Amino acid sequence: MSVADPFVGAVDRAMQFPVNALEFTNILLTTDDALIGATPKDVVWTHRGTTLYRYQSANRRYRVPVLLVFALINRPEIFDLRPGSSLVEYLVEEGFDVFLVDWGYPDEEDSEMGLDEYVCDDLAWAVRETLRASGSDELSLMGWCIGATLCAMYCGLEGERPPVRNLALLTMPIDGRRSTYANWLGDESFDVEATSRLWGSVPGAAIDFANKMMKPVTNYWTTYRRLWEGVQGGTARRDAYQTMAKWVADNPPFAGRAWSQWIELMYRDAGLPRGTVRLRDRSVDLGRIDQSVLVISASADHIAPRPGTMPFFDLIASEDVEHFDRPGGHIGLIAGSAARKELWPSMAEWLAERSDG
Amino acid sequence: MADRRNGAQSPEEQVRALYEEAESNTAKAFEAMVNKPSFGRLLALSAENTAAMTRMGFDAVDLLWRNLRLAGRADIVRLSRQLHRTEDKLERVLQEVESLRDEIARERDPEGARS
Repeated sequence: MSVADPFVGAVDRAMQFPVNALEFTNILLTTDDALIGATPKDVVWTHRGTTLYRYQSANRRYRVPVLLVFALINRPEIFDLRPGSSLVEYLVEEGFDVFLVDWGYPDEEDSEMGLDEYVCDDLAWAVRETLRASGSDELSLMGWCIGATLCAMYCGLEGERPPVRNLALLTMPIDGRRSTYANWLGDESFDVEATSRLWGSVPGAAIDFANKMMKPVTNYWTTYRRLWEGVQGGTARRDAYQTMAKWVADNPPFAGRAWSQWIELMYRDAGLPRGTVRLRDRSVDLGRIDQSVLVISASADHIAPRPGTMPFFDLIASEDVEHFDRPGGHIGLIAGSAARKELWPSMAEWLAERSDG
Repeated sequence: MADRRNGAQSPEEQVRALYEEAESNTAKAFEAMVNKPSFGRLLALSAENTAAMTRMGFDAVDLLWRNLRLAGRADIVRLSRQLHRTEDKLERVLQEVESLRDEIARERDPEGARS
């Protein structure tokens, strides 16, 4: 190494800086142009803002269709993030007939939508339409985050047994009383109902801000610092960054009544483990769940921490229960770049064994 | 050079490691801070105030609009809710019609319905 080498390196980096800065800003500024949710789909059914999509498989091998249900925050495109990194695409390639519920963008006129409307109407009707479209008597429900809790509530509803054969629950909160959210929202002095009434539907930006504030440095600084380093080192993956950033930034409002009910049952009451939740005068008892159940939890999940999922196993009546507990975060575990090789094959295998192949 | 070969870090790498450690510690400190109920109280009060101010702003603009005899946000929301109620009823009727149609089809062709 000559004496001049450090200087040559410094000059080289200085020359490269404007190019890197331009590329970095270009990646940030063109994030909205990234293509997400690109797998071809058909609209099967709509009701209010809710849409049921179907991703038809050209080589359908399993009679039992899969219905994907995402949370009431953020958008369901995370199931179909980008070609090559899409759970929908993977399941379709594996031969499943895949359906997806999109809750849409609730606005002020949807402020009276509660969890009862989501579970007893929209989810129940989406199940009905899925069965009609696929010609099957039963389906597999795959819920993620709040979507998983809604699926569990649907299966635990008093009354006729739902036509669900398999229940796959991804990073599902059941008892949130030990989470950061509970520290924020558990205090009774915060009048959740009044706030939701004032807002009508809670703005997506407010939900996003709260979610990001759980890890403020990581979300507001480290993400961009890593992107900059990736640009500098030539390792930045534009498509991976942009698709995820676009998805993260797309925040629909949370229907006011559903929001206040969710906070009450998840962070104050723990109504689900205690069996006190009632929707439309029908009790929700998770002990009624006797379907084949797959629960996936992430060891570094700060949104729905694993201890908040574990009570589920003591409540259900199912005899066929499987638990995948893997390292990863709330979203990264299932939508991250490693998921296609590590988690999706296990999920597809679990479904395939129970879907009349 | 000998130090580098033995795995020792260059000054640049040392600075980077120090920076990452500082960032990681800052992140942990912030996470501990936001995890406190007092921060939650601050967030809750901010949410309540923002919601109230948003509502007051909307109401003020709405009042102005209505005095100009123009449809305001409240009118559109009311109309949308009415449409939603109609859509709910329509959906239920449609489901009844579909199940009746399925029932008739099963009665006419029990073999086809079983297969």
